[in-house]
Amino acid sequence: MSRRPAVNYLEDEFSSDSYSEEEFPKRRKKVNKKKAQSAMDEIKKQNKDTKFEEDELIEIPLDRPSDFIPDSVSKVFGSSDFSYLKLKPDHASRPIWISPNDGRIILESFSPLSEQAQDFLVTIAEPISRPSFIHEYRITAYSLYAAVSVGLETDDIISVLNRLSKVPVAPSIVNFIRSATISYGKVKLVLKNNRYHVESSQADILQMLLKDEVIGQLRVKSDTLTTTSDGLVRTNKPKSDGLVIAGTAAPASDNSITNTFNTAIGSDPFEDKVEEDDEDEDDDIDKVHSFEIASESVEIVKKRCQEIDYPVLEEYDFRNDQRNPDLDIDLKPSTQIRPYQEKSLSKMFGNGRARSGIIVLPCGAGKTLVGITAACTIKKSVIVLCTSSVSVMQWRQQFLQWCTIQPENVAVFTSENKEMFTGDAGLVVSTYSMVANTRNRSHDSQKVMDFLTSREWGFIILDEVHVVPAAMFRRVVTTIAAHAKLGLTATLVREDDKIGDLNFLIGPKLYEANWMDLAQKGHIANVQCAEVWCPMTSEFYQEYLRETSRKRMLLYIMNPTKFQACQFLIHYHEQRGDKIIVFSDNVYALQEYALKLGKPFIYGSTPQQERMNILQNFQYNDQVNTIFLSKVGDTSIDLPEATCLIQISSHYGSRRQEAQRLGRILRAKRRNDEGFNAFFYSLVSKDTQEMYYSTKRQAFLVDQGYAFKVITHLHGMESLPNLAYSSARERRELLQDVLLKNEDAAGIEAGEDSENMIGGGVSKRVRSGGQSSSATRTTGSLAGLAGGEDMAYVEYSRNKNKELKEHHPLIQKMYYKKKR
Amino acid sequence: MPRAIKGALVKCDPSIRALILKIDAESHDIVIEELDDTHLVVDQNRIPFVKAELARILAQNSYNPLDEDEA
Repeated sequence: MSRRPAVNYLEDEFSSDSYSEEEFPKRRKKVNKKKAQSAMDEIKKQNKDTKFEEDELIEIPLDRPSDFIPDSVSKVFGSSDFSYLKLKPDHASRPIWISPNDGRIILESFSPLSEQAQDFLVTIAEPISRPSFIHEYRITAYSLYAAVSVGLETDDIISVLNRLSKVPVAPSIVNFIRSATISYGKVKLVLKNNRYHVESSQADILQMLLKDEVIGQLRVKSDTLTTTSDGLVRTNKPKSDGLVIAGTAAPASDNSITNTFNTAIGSDPFEDKVEEDDEDEDDDIDKVHSFEIASESVEIVKKRCQEIDYPVLEEYDFRNDQRNPDLDIDLKPSTQIRPYQEKSLSKMFGNGRARSGIIVLPCGAGKTLVGITAACTIKKSVIVLCTSSVSVMQWRQQFLQWCTIQPENVAVFTSENKEMFTGDAGLVVSTYSMVANTRNRSHDSQKVMDFLTSREWGFIILDEVHVVPAAMFRRVVTTIAAHAKLGLTATLVREDDKIGDLNFLIGPKLYEANWMDLAQKGHIANVQCAEVWCPMTSEFYQEYLRETSRKRMLLYIMNPTKFQACQFLIHYHEQRGDKIIVFSDNVYALQEYALKLGKPFIYGSTPQQERMNILQNFQYNDQVNTIFLSKVGDTSIDLPEATCLIQISSHYGSRRQEAQRLGRILRAKRRNDEGFNAFFYSLVSKDTQEMYYSTKRQAFLVDQGYAFKVITHLHGMESLPNLAYSSARERRELLQDVLLKNEDAAGIEAGEDSENMIGGGVSKRVRSGGQSSSATRTTGSLAGLAGGEDMAYVEYSRNKNKELKEHHPLIQKMYYKKKR
Repeated sequence: MPRAIKGALVKCDPSIRALILKIDAESHDIVIEELDDTHLVVDQNRIPFVKAELARILAQNSYNPLDEDEA
């Protein structure tokens, strides 16, 4: 009896010439497990055929079958022998493979389907590595959490994976996805008409929550709304209809994901039928159930839900929020947002409400504009937190540039400026340290803090979220009551494992852009990366082997060959008309290099006035094409003119620093010129520890698809006129200098004005982000302090900084404007 | 009476030469003669040891992402 339908099924399966993918959902519904099992038997018995139908494989267990016979090479692979997962007949056209062990997904990015597959994978998995041809993703609990929060269902995820995969998805993966998504995102905390509601599309979950001893008691009995017999309120599921993300033409839709499925598979005649089925179920699905809780018990409910593994998703129904006054803000008509910015925002406003989360975009790809557009969509009071007072001013300026907000509604809260806006709603820009600081507030800033904490904010933008320590973050997030939180960053990596914390403090990662993709489309500059190997001279290397680790660092940074390479590259690129930034973390080396080469430099203790002067000259003065920057230039300094970057020393193996520095040249103004390339050089002393750090640092960028060329020899370096340290005597003198240096000089610039004994007194704290103390402590002998050691003042190389004259304001005004 | 010691000629970068000299500094039984910046004569029997030592020291300077995964 059971055999007949199976045979029929086989017949019509094989009668069609081509394997038809479209029929997959229909088949799955039609063929039950028993049939599939017998059909499978049939195939085995009759055909001895390796051809199979994927439906059956979905139904029968796929753990390594008991009759699985390992072949001759099986033992080489051990538990990673997945040969029992048979390739689908049309595997060549399917782009992904999923490892049953750890949820790692390998994607062929050259496949025609890869673009859709990428869209989907970015939603459900975390990108690990994205070079040109093969991408790697990994499904994690967090990533699934994020997927659920943008509205994907468990079954959708599994079925799409199954369609894209070359082999049937292993049961271990299916189970993992089920177990991770079963509880995540099922419960939502919604603020509607200023009342908090716990919302879910499944009534039984709410019933369970109500029976919970903690949550049940916190429920507020509502008498105004009609409640059903089970005590829950039923409303229609929110739809995104009508919500237009500022700056985009079409309404935001949460269908983009579903569309991806369809396009991924091609036109699907069966799809209509599925839609119809859905219509029937609409009555059940599109109703959401909710109960109300008091606003003071929100924290308790959230915590309790976390404990019982039903973490709540926070959404802000800003269109129905009448208590908080609207902010008059909109994008200027001239403002254009780019497709990927729109895509990231559509993840945020998927169903017409604002979700909290993190958006990851490369430096220079317009993170600020994403934040601004989100603010313009929500149209409530906004607070922006960033890392330094320089970026505070940049944010303010960007807001005024891109949208219609009135300048009097924009307030800035820094150590210098404590004005607040006067209207009902407004925008505040501040730094993390200003808000999180707990002690020694001045009267003024306390007043502002009271203002910030006393009111309810519609939206909070957290810039550069990866840098903020978790403790500080927690304080910020708890002191300021904001409905929706948006984290922005370029590099969601840390050397410590604190990234996971962000998931709970802000929300899941909503979107991560593909760097290579953006570079290809001209949104960020094309960068040629190169690692230049500079051999150590033998004298330096002998000392290197003898010294302690800290002093070693100084030796490999001051390696004369490296200096020559740096000189050569600067010379070469200046002739090409590039604007060059040289980075050094080590202040001693920074000064030494810059003075010797006669270039201006900026480091922690350069006074603000001098900094501005140097930066302006770099931007507009044709005579100043190269500047040296210490760590202070890593993030906040925005120099679109720079097209070439040379790194001579760095913060050990920090991947983040490498990426942030690369970010300095990604926004190059000339990026759209035909065939334009920006250059990123990292100078490394051969056979030293630097090689180790350098490889480690590159890991992040390599994962983004950047390839580092290794240059072992720079042609023509020896013939460069005025090549520094070309004679053995000069090299010996340099070595003497370096060896005489205090071990402290080897350190990287720690705070803002460390390292600088001479200028320590006049240094100003310009970036209020750091928390350095005003006193510097250095050790020295008593004789040394009294001037008893032999010390002479000779000026070897003149500081170029002092030579840069500031133009007369009038000339600046006219000349600079023109250049712009 | 001239004395002959059998040795092997090593040609290397200056930095590797410095490393070999450092290895030699502990026992003084490896290097027979320092010829110039890139050439050394070393005891033939000690060559496997020198090779192993060099590999060990140089490995410290290369980064292998797989090590970290396991850690």
